[in-house]
Amino acid sequence: MRFALRLLSAAAVLAVLAVLARPAAGELVKLVKPEQYRSRVVAAKKGRVVLVNFWATWCEPCREEMPALVAAAKGFPVKDVAVALVSTDSLKKTPDVQKFLASQKIPFVCWQAKSTDPQRFIEAVDKTWNGAVPYTLVYDRKGELAARLLGPQTEQSFAEAVRKALVAGP
Amino acid sequence: MKKLPAVASFASFLVVLSAVPLGARAADLKIGAPAPDFTLPAVSDGKAVALKDLLAKNKAVAVVFVATKCPVSNAYNTRMAALGKEYAAKGIPLVGINSNKTEPAAEVKQHAEKHGFTFPVLKDEGNKVADAYGASHTPEVFVLDAKGNLIYHGRIDENQDDPKNVKSPDLRNALDAVLAGKPVPTARTKAFGCSIKRV
Repeated sequence: MRFALRLLSAAAVLAVLAVLARPAAGELVKLVKPEQYRSRVVAAKKGRVVLVNFWATWCEPCREEMPALVAAAKGFPVKDVAVALVSTDSLKKTPDVQKFLASQKIPFVCWQAKSTDPQRFIEAVDKTWNGAVPYTLVYDRKGELAARLLGPQTEQSFAEAVRKALVAGP
Repeated sequence: MKKLPAVASFASFLVVLSAVPLGARAADLKIGAPAPDFTLPAVSDGKAVALKDLLAKNKAVAVVFVATKCPVSNAYNTRMAALGKEYAAKGIPLVGINSNKTEPAAEVKQHAEKHGFTFPVLKDEGNKVADAYGASHTPEVFVLDAKGNLIYHGRIDENQDDPKNVKSPDLRNALDAVLAGKPVPTARTKAFGCSIKRV
């Protein structure tokens, strides 16, 4: 009986620690101004290949491809590859973004455009982009754009693009 | 608003994309180029609406690709309804086109009624018109002058969240320029919203 109680207490402590270790809901999404995209989302991870996935909560294919992205990322060491999400949801929808990320236990940093004008953000990211999501950009270790992935991807296509960027780099 | 032409029943309807010079295909529809003609059924009564008939009777036509489930398109429902009423009275009708395979005509009709759209909303089965125009988003606007040439392509405005704080009313600017007989100040903006759900 005493052993069972100790086990229960230990489990409770572990559960509390697990909750505390998770980022608070408010920290799941960071805001980024259009002009800060390169410096904060891409260059901050210089030295690693960076995969940036643009998505939105209302975009079904985006939500559907998220597990493939998570699975692909697991195939690469964190020292070599960084993954960042950028939500194109309107700022009114930040709580929905946070809710989705938490419910799906998405392990990536998620940014959200701090601009009421989507065109400013789209052009700051990639002038050739028409703004449709899902959209994924892969940067090499020097921060140079290595691949554009239009539309929904698979675990294999994400991984292939990252592998090519790793090979191309120094 | 002008009564729109009805020339065929829904049952006998066929999409027509070649009566007027079939402009450039897909994503290469450029400003100044002739836009593809189309004839599509109105979701309200199934009767066909032909672009060429609208162009013949008006100063310009604003073609807006819309959706029922897209939150971005829905954020503009009130604005589209207001613009539709205001500019139809001035000789520039709005025409909504729903090309989403996931949104049947009955649902589109209900949505249009619920949101007070007095402009016709047409169902583009098989997304043939969306393909011909190179439309990729909802909402996405193509304004055609009376000759059927593209004079504006892009968004309604930049602020989906707050209609009272719009700083760049791009569609309105384009329509006002037509009415004033002036060139559209910004003919190309980037539409944003949900991807059109194609077959």
